[in-house]
Amino acid sequence: MKFRCERDVLVEALGAAGRAVANRGGALPVLSGVRAELEGDRLRLTGSDLELTIAVDITVAGSADGLAVLPSRVATDVVRSLDSGSVEVSVEGDEAHITSGRFQSAIRVLPADEFPRLAQPTDDAVTLAAADFAEALHQVVPAASADDARPILTGVLMAAEGHGLRLVATDSYRLAVRDLPGASILREGQSVLVPSRALRELERLLGGAAEVTLRLGEREATFEVGGVRLTTRLIEGEFPNYRGLIPVSHPNRLTVGREALAEAVRRVKLMAREPNTPVRLGMSSDGLELIAITQDVGQAHEQLDADYAGTELTVAFNPDYLLNGVEVTPGDEIVLDTVDAQKPAVIRANGGNEFLYLLMPVRVS
Amino acid sequence: MRVIVANCSVDYAGRLSAHLPLAPRLIMVKADGCVAIHADGGAYKPLNWMNAPNRLVEGDGVWTVTNPNGEKITITLVEVLSDSSWVLGTDPGLQKDGVEAHLQELLAANCTHLAEGFRLVRREYPTDIGPVDLLCRDADGVTVAVEIKRRGEIDGVEQLTRYLDFLNRDPMLRPVRGMFVAQQIKPQARVLAADRGISWLEVDYDELRGLASNELRLF
Repeated sequence: MKFRCERDVLVEALGAAGRAVANRGGALPVLSGVRAELEGDRLRLTGSDLELTIAVDITVAGSADGLAVLPSRVATDVVRSLDSGSVEVSVEGDEAHITSGRFQSAIRVLPADEFPRLAQPTDDAVTLAAADFAEALHQVVPAASADDARPILTGVLMAAEGHGLRLVATDSYRLAVRDLPGASILREGQSVLVPSRALRELERLLGGAAEVTLRLGEREATFEVGGVRLTTRLIEGEFPNYRGLIPVSHPNRLTVGREALAEAVRRVKLMAREPNTPVRLGMSSDGLELIAITQDVGQAHEQLDADYAGTELTVAFNPDYLLNGVEVTPGDEIVLDTVDAQKPAVIRANGGNEFLYLLMPVRVS
Repeated sequence: MRVIVANCSVDYAGRLSAHLPLAPRLIMVKADGCVAIHADGGAYKPLNWMNAPNRLVEGDGVWTVTNPNGEKITITLVEVLSDSSWVLGTDPGLQKDGVEAHLQELLAANCTHLAEGFRLVRREYPTDIGPVDLLCRDADGVTVAVEIKRRGEIDGVEQLTRYLDFLNRDPMLRPVRGMFVAQQIKPQARVLAADRGISWLEVDYDELRGLASNELRLF
């Protein structure tokens, strides 16, 4: 295998594929490498840890087709260290030679025949607008759990809803639901659970792209953005029945400027210094008061103009979860619907129904 | 443990040279031969020290400590303010985490946290290969061996499997089923446990201690 390409293009491709590379290779040391396959002028770089696979196609000036597995970390570090300009890569025997200007290096490659055969995506493809999908991921994915002990909650549910697609994630403290009307990629009643880690990587790839193509298999989902294909294994299991968690009616409704609330939470939470220290929202006809108190450290209050309809109420929330919900809710104004101090509150855009953020309060004395 | 408080100066020669000028200091000579010179500050690190094996020669006002690497500490004692020796015996070791033992204690005190109708037969039930954390009877009277860990990993399941193998040889107990209990159980350990017919349970330490979390959950 032998090709020549621009250093910047190769660095970006190695970096993208390398994000799926297994950290230490685990049981399969070859997975610590990036599989490079050259056919004509098309170079495909593939990294995988078997759960997540990222394949990147780039155009190079190919001289000799071939296949090799380059150690990801070393190869990326070497190419990244080079000045911008042309880089030549050639593989002979068990060594890859990377040459640029007067720099030369020889890197021992990994056995290509040990690289696992990866599933091919199905033919059924649906194309979505990348910007809408990226926004939906930005809103929903942070609510997924990072706790591997509950693998179901580390996934984002993608389900057919009406004539569109619904994304749902929860870590049991909060729940984010986003509808994408018109994006019918699933059959009625069909749903899949996609690992949030894969969707975080996808969100990173979607920046600036126009379209994303989705293919759903029985066990994998594949997303294609430009020359990058991301394939992830689906999580098996039943997602919690989230519909029953959303209160049907709320006696209290607060309407407040989104950015003003976000800024106030950012300031006040600086006095929530201990883990599990909440920010209290005092809601009355006078508006909204945010309070955070950490014993032996200090306290912060901030009063905000807001419309409130309902009984006077103080509800406490985890400040990070509250802030995340406020930040990802669209629109200039949000509504916060509450029942009481111990029942889930709902954050929505004022007048908008496509996104919902359900947040459990924190119990305070 | 010999504890000396003295006005002394110390010179070290070895990988580098170092000098501690005359000042009051604490000198410890431990039972294993380690010598450490401390100032009146800092939590743990001596100003100078030499690990065992070494050779301590007590001369007239001058001690020399040497080791096989050619390093040498010379302690010049100008005035000894205190010199006492104590037999401390074998140290029981640092207990970094008492959670596991406390979990066992709490679950033994209330087996129904494990499952409805559970009764405790014995804590630390002996087998030929070591004691099982809890031996219980379930609501149907079936014997249940319970292994308790803070973090449930595959080796804990393996350990319980070995206990079950031995316990099921006892005609008075068998059939004995297993239950693997931890604050958090790794997915691989769950799969292995399920594959071997062992049930598993995650328990909330704070809840068992009666410390209700102020964090409410959706489900």
